[in-house]
Amino acid sequence: MKVVVVGAGMVGNRFVDELGRLAPQVEIDLLGDESYEPYNRVMLTELIAGRVDLAGLTLPTPDHGRVRVRAGVRALEIDRERRTVVTADGDFAYDVLVLATGAQARVIPVPGLRDGLPRGAHVVRRLDDARDITAATLNASDAVVIGAGPLGVEAACALRHRGIAVTLVAASDLLNRDLDPEVASVAADQAASLGIEVVTDAQVASVGVHAGRVDAVHLADGRTFPAGIVVLACGSAPDTTLAAEAGLDTNVGIVVGHDLRTPADLAVCAIGDCAETPAGVSGLVAPGWAQARALARSIAHASELELPTVAGSAMRLKAVGMSVVTMGARTSTARPDDRVVTLSDRRERRHVELVVRGDTLVGVTCVGAPDLAAHLSTQFDRPGMLPADPMHLLMGTSGIGATESASPTAMPAATTVCRCNGVTKGDLVHAWDGGATTVEALADATLATTGCGGCTQLVCGIVDWLQTTDPPPVPTTSQPDGSGRETTVPTR
Amino acid sequence: MTETHCPYCALQCAQTLRGEPLAAEPRAFPTNVGGMCQKGWTSAEVLGVADRITAPLRRVGGGFEAVSWDEALDDIASRVTAISGESGPDAIAVFGGGGLTNEKAYQLGKFARLALRTRNIDYNGRFCMSSAAAAANRSLGVDRGLPFPLTDLNDADVVVLLGSNLADTMPPAVQHLGPVRERGGLIVVDPRRSATARLTDGGAGEHVQLVPGTDLVLLLGLLHIVLAEGLADVDYLAARVDGVEDVRRSVAEWWPERVAATTGVPETQLRRIARTLAHASPHGGGRGAFLLTGRGSEQHADGTDTVTAVINLALALGLVGAERGGYGAITGQGNGQGGREHGQKADQLPGYRMIADPAAREHVAAVWGVDPDVIPGPGVPAVELLMSLAQPDGPRALFVHGSNLLVSSPDAQVVRRRVEALDLVVVCDFVPSETAMLADYVLPVTQWAEEEGTMTGLEGRVLRRRKAVDPPAGVWSELEVFAELARRLDAPGTWSTKPREVYDELRRASAGGRADYAGISYERLDAGEALYWPCPDESHPGTPRLFADAFPTANGRARMVPVREVGPDDGLRAEAPVWLVTGRVLQHYQSGAQTRRVARLNDSMPRAYVEIHPVLAARIGVEGVDDIRITSKRGSMVAQARVSPDIRPDTVFVPFHFADEGMVNAVTNAATDPISGMPEFKVCAVQIAKEDA
Ligand SMILES: Cc1cc2nc3c(=O)[nH]c(=O)nc-3n(C[C@H](O)[C@H](O)[C@H](O)COP(=O)(O)OP(=O)(O)OC[C@H]3O[C@@H](n4cnc5c(N)ncnc54)[C@H](O)[C@@H]3O)c2cc1C
Ligand code: SF4
Repeated sequence: MKVVVVGAGMVGNRFVDELGRLAPQVEIDLLGDESYEPYNRVMLTELIAGRVDLAGLTLPTPDHGRVRVRAGVRALEIDRERRTVVTADGDFAYDVLVLATGAQARVIPVPGLRDGLPRGAHVVRRLDDARDITAATLNASDAVVIGAGPLGVEAACALRHRGIAVTLVAASDLLNRDLDPEVASVAADQAASLGIEVVTDAQVASVGVHAGRVDAVHLADGRTFPAGIVVLACGSAPDTTLAAEAGLDTNVGIVVGHDLRTPADLAVCAIGDCAETPAGVSGLVAPGWAQARALARSIAHASELELPTVAGSAMRLKAVGMSVVTMGARTSTARPDDRVVTLSDRRERRHVELVVRGDTLVGVTCVGAPDLAAHLSTQFDRPGMLPADPMHLLMGTSGIGATESASPTAMPAATTVCRCNGVTKGDLVHAWDGGATTVEALADATLATTGCGGCTQLVCGIVDWLQTTDPPPVPTTSQPDGSGRETTVPTR
Repeated sequence: MTETHCPYCALQCAQTLRGEPLAAEPRAFPTNVGGMCQKGWTSAEVLGVADRITAPLRRVGGGFEAVSWDEALDDIASRVTAISGESGPDAIAVFGGGGLTNEKAYQLGKFARLALRTRNIDYNGRFCMSSAAAAANRSLGVDRGLPFPLTDLNDADVVVLLGSNLADTMPPAVQHLGPVRERGGLIVVDPRRSATARLTDGGAGEHVQLVPGTDLVLLLGLLHIVLAEGLADVDYLAARVDGVEDVRRSVAEWWPERVAATTGVPETQLRRIARTLAHASPHGGGRGAFLLTGRGSEQHADGTDTVTAVINLALALGLVGAERGGYGAITGQGNGQGGREHGQKADQLPGYRMIADPAAREHVAAVWGVDPDVIPGPGVPAVELLMSLAQPDGPRALFVHGSNLLVSSPDAQVVRRRVEALDLVVVCDFVPSETAMLADYVLPVTQWAEEEGTMTGLEGRVLRRRKAVDPPAGVWSELEVFAELARRLDAPGTWSTKPREVYDELRRASAGGRADYAGISYERLDAGEALYWPCPDESHPGTPRLFADAFPTANGRARMVPVREVGPDDGLRAEAPVWLVTGRVLQHYQSGAQTRRVARLNDSMPRAYVEIHPVLAARIGVEGVDDIRITSKRGSMVAQARVSPDIRPDTVFVPFHFADEGMVNAVTNAATDPISGMPEFKVCAVQIAKEDA
């Protein structure tokens, strides 16, 4: 069987890897129009921030014999009659065609951006975009990021990390798709604390261009922000061109059924950002990977495909200096009988929100609480066994902290002092009463300190405490009397 | 007065035996630095346990009768002959142990191949070291638990313990962590705040309390950061390591936020640890870093890959073979190291030679004085072997040496049924262990203070075990058992009953192999030399540190191997919403067959318990000392609750030393690692409920 995959992005590449593992007899061509080997798109803003280098983005090449990765090869046309994909490098025949063309960044149609992007204006979708922005930071001192979604915030933080003066302008609140307005303002405080100027309620009127280069962003209310770099983070749209031209049904994305195949032609499938399943379009990598795996399995095993559901897809900001993680429901989207537990700590720019439905954690919002976010991510949508009181979820793995007293006085008699030999404080007191009134004598009598020696300090403390509370009749010396067990015979 | 080593764990604390009755005291020695734990202090009590077996026992009806050795061995030999005559020699299976001396382990492997002619031999080390072994062999070309002396830890800036609770399992070893704790560099990765994790308190380091079964993801994430942030030792990688590019790509998908969501370890902590490691590494100008794994990270269906990920990280940081730093696995059983080198493993011959390798077969056959064709081919690993018992075409008879497999195997109920269905079960033991109770014959054998031999400690240093007392009348050494059975079975070769002679034969058999003992003689050991294998001849000083110049691979370079996350075989779901992890407690060793018989140990830890977080306990209505029932797809067990905030609220912990209703291995998963055959002891999904009294 021959499988051709168009689009060597994160999902196309993963699909080929999965299929190659499951069905070594299948021949696969992976066509990608970008000139790079498949790379991790999700980390592009990290590249701009300088927290990862180019080599660190490259994804594993599927290496299963019959996989051919063709970088820099653009699919120009699908000939469904002949089951062939046409490219400038020749035709590729297929039995199954998988479209994974991803999405394209949206460019707002304002003056200055209408006839192609001027120099200094960039979207953030492809590796070339990220490299161009990184290069531009060398000569620019200020930047305007348009758009306050995760991509805009990440890009703003990345540029700020590079020492650029950044203004973030948007028509809405920060991360308004993921955060309720009050929480958004906590996140905005975080951004402001990094030195990012956040301008919401902003209508971009035009982008100023001088001599073919951007120099400012003008708002409808008359405000103007100078900009050596303009980053457009205004959303993306599924790339449906190829499918539409081939006469396949497209809406927002390429329309596919529960089986991820196009209804008009069952030899054609679509997965990832470009696909519109009965559940809609996704725009995130986790659902795309789940689709890739499901499709690979169904092709390899010639079995029915069950459309994977990815539970309440998560948003985890990857921005230097900011931490925002959300998944599932939040206050405004919770149901009336959900329990919503909120921790608000404005001064620390921290906000945590949990939504518990029955016995399941169905919503998490963590702003400025990375440690808790990590823990709650592992509890999200876990079936059953939530704490009886959801408040305990806010305490991370430690729950109710119980710290034992290490002071010899306050320590209960049953406390184990020497773990190695199972000696309790009570045992030591007992031995003391029996006349063992030095550390060495206690060691002889109880074996405390003779294992790892970790309790020596504690035993000394107990000796000091007993000295004062229950002094022995005869004065003691701290020197062993020589009759004690010799444990330091030199090695032969 | 006799200078020997503790009978139990791989730290092999040096001890002196003296007095009447015999008692054990610690001796100064580099590994235990004059310390010993409760198990060592009380070890001599096992010599005099009330239910010591002193005559061969034969099953009659529901009980046993004492018979003479001749009677027992004659009957065993004739039944073996009959079974292998009917069903072929592979119908006889052998199950060994990581507590046997090198001499006994070697002779057991030879006995299986030459006297029983079976390929079906494996051992309980499969439940212990096999993942670490497989990974080290694949990446570094050799498997020696610690490829450096334990004392090297004293110099390091950072020591990372992954899934090792050595403060409980080998407390004296904690002394070597003292300096690194003073420098704040101890990092303990464990879902529980174990005794070892607590060693990081007070600025001594940090505890990484990850979700059970996510060790591999954590490691992929750390390597991602090391490579992404340019923290790797590029010169070292260029000079000594292959496969870097593939591994770099394989971790590109594991960015910190994603890792945090899977492991529960915050991104900030991930980055901090990666940087701490890099600064501690030689190229970062540090005093070195050590990455050490224990069963917690190895006993998974992806255990080999998890260890591989640790090795990848250690290689990226330039640690392996560096003067300071490295990767190591902390061996568990007393002779877990030596026991896996000399022929107890299904696919191996002495000296860590592969049984399928014609040159290896030829060498060993020459030492044994047989034709290479006499030696059977590779058998199957432990779990597969146990599950095949008494199946159609599976083995019909089983010899058990140094293993209480009825308690220590995963999915132990099934194993019990398999053993019960056999035609012949012969168990060599000194006490009536749970496994012995199922035998047709129990043969009473010597224990540590009653025998001579060698053990190879966790560092690959060969140690002398010495005899302090005569065994009780009627007790034989296993070497005598092998010799007498071999004679009755007309086996070729010679069958010495003297440990020293058997050991000298082992030296010849191992010569030129990966674990080369040729130069390590009793004389040199008795003269006090510190000898680490490989040691090819008597003038060779041994090899305390491996990899200084090259790796024992085909091209002399280490190999980074890309690995993929798979996740636990038995995942959480509505019917099984809680993770179960298992482990050891200080007071007991392995299946507890010995330590449960020592009053001082057993009194302080007489039965199993379920460690449970107060929040989870409250959730199921458990208070204080209530009993909890744990149920999985495979079986169930009951034990008392021990409510503690030291465990994650989504996880329970049960020690595995106990039998009967407290036997947690009735619940654990027998899914195995595809490479090493290691069962997934360490994590499975369970349902928990309060058990009404
Ligand atoms: C900066 C950034 C950060 C992100 N962060 C996150 C995040 O944190 N979490 C998350 O879940 N998601 C994130 N996303 C979204 C995520 O990257 C996408 O969901 C994911 O890449 C979708 O994968 P895909 O393979 O469907 O599409 P893409 O990765 O876009 O790949 C499609 C590929 O197909 C190629 N192509 C298109 N047409 C053709 C043709 N005719 N011939 C050949 N090749 C063609 C394109 O050039 C592209 O290389 C982020 C996106 C960006 C840009
Ligand atoms: S059990 Fe291990 S740590 Fe304890 S004394 Fe024996 S060898 Fe030492």
